[in-house]
Amino acid sequence: MILQAENVTKYYGEFRALHDVTLGVSAGEFVSIIGPNGAGKSTLLNLLTGLARPSSGTVRFKDRDITGIGPVKLAKLGMARSFQLVQIFPDLTVRETLQAAVAARLRRGRRIFASLRGDRDIRDGAEEVAALFGLDAKRRALARELPQGDKKLLDVASAFALRPEIILLDEPTSGVSTADKTRIMEILVRAAKTIGLQAIIQVEHDMDIVFGFSDRIVALHQGAVLADATPREVQADQRLVDMVVGRRRGASA
Amino acid sequence: MSALVSILMGGVFHASILFLVAAGLQVVFGVQKVFNLACGSFYALGAYFGVSAVQWYVAAGGPPAFFIVPLIAAGALIGVTGVIVERGLLSFVYERDETFQLLLTFAVVLMMEDAIRLTWGTAPVSTSGLYLVYGQARLAGAAVPVYNLIVIAASLVIALGIGWLLTRTAFGRIIRATADNREMAEALGVDMRRVYAKVFTLGTALGTLGGALVIPATAAMSEMGVELIVEAFAVVVIGGLGSMRGAFVGALVVGILRAVAISVYPELEMLIIYLIVITVLVFRPRGLFGGAAA
Amino acid sequence: MRQALVLAVALAAVVAVPWIAPIYHVLLMLPFMAYGVVLLGLNLLFGYTGLVSFGHALFIGLGAYTAAFLTGLFKVRALEVILLTAAVVAAVVAMPVAAFCVRYVKIYFGMLTLAFGMVFYTFLLKFYRLTGGDEGMPVARPFLLGRDLGDMPKIEYLAGPYYYYSLVVLIVAIAVMWRIVHSPFGLCLKTIRDNPAKAETLGISVPHYRWTAFVISAVYAGVGGALLATPTGNVDPTLAYWTHSGNLVFMTLLGGFASFFGPLVGAFVFIYLQDFVMSVVPYWRLVFGAILAALVIFAPGGLLGLFPRRRVIEAA
Repeated sequence: MILQAENVTKYYGEFRALHDVTLGVSAGEFVSIIGPNGAGKSTLLNLLTGLARPSSGTVRFKDRDITGIGPVKLAKLGMARSFQLVQIFPDLTVRETLQAAVAARLRRGRRIFASLRGDRDIRDGAEEVAALFGLDAKRRALARELPQGDKKLLDVASAFALRPEIILLDEPTSGVSTADKTRIMEILVRAAKTIGLQAIIQVEHDMDIVFGFSDRIVALHQGAVLADATPREVQADQRLVDMVVGRRRGASA
Repeated sequence: MSALVSILMGGVFHASILFLVAAGLQVVFGVQKVFNLACGSFYALGAYFGVSAVQWYVAAGGPPAFFIVPLIAAGALIGVTGVIVERGLLSFVYERDETFQLLLTFAVVLMMEDAIRLTWGTAPVSTSGLYLVYGQARLAGAAVPVYNLIVIAASLVIALGIGWLLTRTAFGRIIRATADNREMAEALGVDMRRVYAKVFTLGTALGTLGGALVIPATAAMSEMGVELIVEAFAVVVIGGLGSMRGAFVGALVVGILRAVAISVYPELEMLIIYLIVITVLVFRPRGLFGGAAA
Repeated sequence: MRQALVLAVALAAVVAVPWIAPIYHVLLMLPFMAYGVVLLGLNLLFGYTGLVSFGHALFIGLGAYTAAFLTGLFKVRALEVILLTAAVVAAVVAMPVAAFCVRYVKIYFGMLTLAFGMVFYTFLLKFYRLTGGDEGMPVARPFLLGRDLGDMPKIEYLAGPYYYYSLVVLIVAIAVMWRIVHSPFGLCLKTIRDNPAKAETLGISVPHYRWTAFVISAVYAGVGGALLATPTGNVDPTLAYWTHSGNLVFMTLLGGFASFFGPLVGAFVFIYLQDFVMSVVPYWRLVFGAILAALVIFAPGGLLGLFPRRRVIEAA
């Protein structure tokens, strides 16, 4: 068990966003968290990444309590995260973005007088990730000039450049075209294998993506776990599918 | 006792002027999110224009006892420069980073300082001893110029007036709505251009009025603007950016502390105020009356 | 290639100035070089880290007064020692100041730096027994490389040895800053400028980097301030006044904060233009205010931003 949430409950004032959720993720798993809006998906993700503090219960990553640990330490521990809204460095090139991530991973960001260009490890590390994500042809482009799908890829690629053990993605394909969605997911899964990522957890609305790529689905409803099963089992349960995604299967929210 | 009273009254007088300038800074920051470095320059402009107005008035044979009428009129009138600065300069950069807005107001500081020198010369100008026409009042044994009491009262009236404007009028509701959520206000059909022009003019007029009111008690100098801005800045930081109550309390804190420091240990005059500013910024970055810290 | 050529020509011109230009212009180059050092540092904070300081005159003041105290009170005349001490003093003061300031960004950062600058200004003004108050303090002529050039006429000293000394300091400052902005550290600063939240998710500890950039920029301002003191011959509190800080930001914007050499161009144009305007009308602020306003509105990229920028071709 690499990441473990035990009996976590989260209140925002009077409102109970999550109730007694227990969830463990083991090495080798690709877990999708689904549920209608307001089911507590983002809250759960925030708790799992130590961003929010649970009202009760614990979250442990590699047997270490990560409550309130903050993004910097979390990244250093080996957990990466991407957000629903694409996060890029607008005025940096693709290459610079990936180099920054590699430099941070290698703990070389504080080398004030070292040459970036002369650092073979940083350069090669960035090239490798760019190639994995099909961004090598665009490595001199400024991030803000990329098409939306590539921005999303760059965002996720920079998280992968940290070579984390586990990665949490908040709607990795939101806001991109249907054709791009599958492409992004395929790249992502392939890259995960290459860098030896142990587990992926994603929040996703698109049920085709969810059923097509995950090993396990956790369905949330009104802050509680409604189902924790394989895609096959979930697909078989029409009542469950209706409940978490609405009537039409595959409709993205 | 009488010494203490005269120190306190001096402090409150200064505070009431500071409040006017700081209130102008606050209303502009609250609504437009622009930190107006030029508010001190407007203060200086009001002061010079006030001197000229009073000089014309006296030369035209107006009774000295009513010199405060043209003074206040001049202070309020010259506030229209606010429209020019807002429409002519600031309106171009609302979409930009606030650094550029700040720098633009710094450009106004530079221009205004020389525009004043160009118009009124480099020597200090004053209304001479005119303000003594109101005589002095005795307060607990201390002699306090009546004019100072008038200014304190005027400032209080203006403070109440602003409070009324913000909470009881349609314009005030629009201002508060814009300050809270600009997009929402715009969606509800508020014409931002007009609101911004009005708010900036109001802010400017408060500054020029402050300058006009202070002038009988002191002389107008071209550096008075850049010097006052740092005090007004201290006021709004202590009180909390954008808060009117903050401006009121902040002005009292700065005005009185400065008066006490000058009489007790002059070396500390502004030093103590900046130290308070830093302390507030470090421990309560949104000021005493600001919202929750970011 | 083109950039290297422009640089070589510029350097040759600056080296040749004392031989070819009238003495008046040679002397104007001295503040340019001193401000050049200051602005290189300021732009590490402004252009590379995204923090606009309205209080960096504090560190110029520190550097300049360090020169005055050392040459006057302590009879230390070696310029090497003076510059080094100025750097150390600026760094020591900047460390706690930066620790407070970098907790905030944007307008709050600007206000806090302004407040710290004004604390120092008021200190210089009010503690006149120590600092000479508004009269300031004289700066004795420093020795260069251990040589006492006291017999030389002042103009000759400034336009000759001191000129080249300043130039060497500026070149070293440029070289070191070039190294810094092209290091992994420099790259991390740019990520923080562009998107601090994203930088944190990469494991970049934002406050630490901002702090380091602030201290480096303060060291540059301290050295520049010490360099500025000798040609003036006297230091006074206005060096630390907030409008001086504002002018520094102005110069940076004038040249263009988005480019490495922009601030140097800004310092050069500012100083010569100021001199020219003042020779025509005494109201340089009016003209400069209008220029600044026009820059902000029409050319926020500064003078260098006016030229169509070729993408810098990096070695593949």
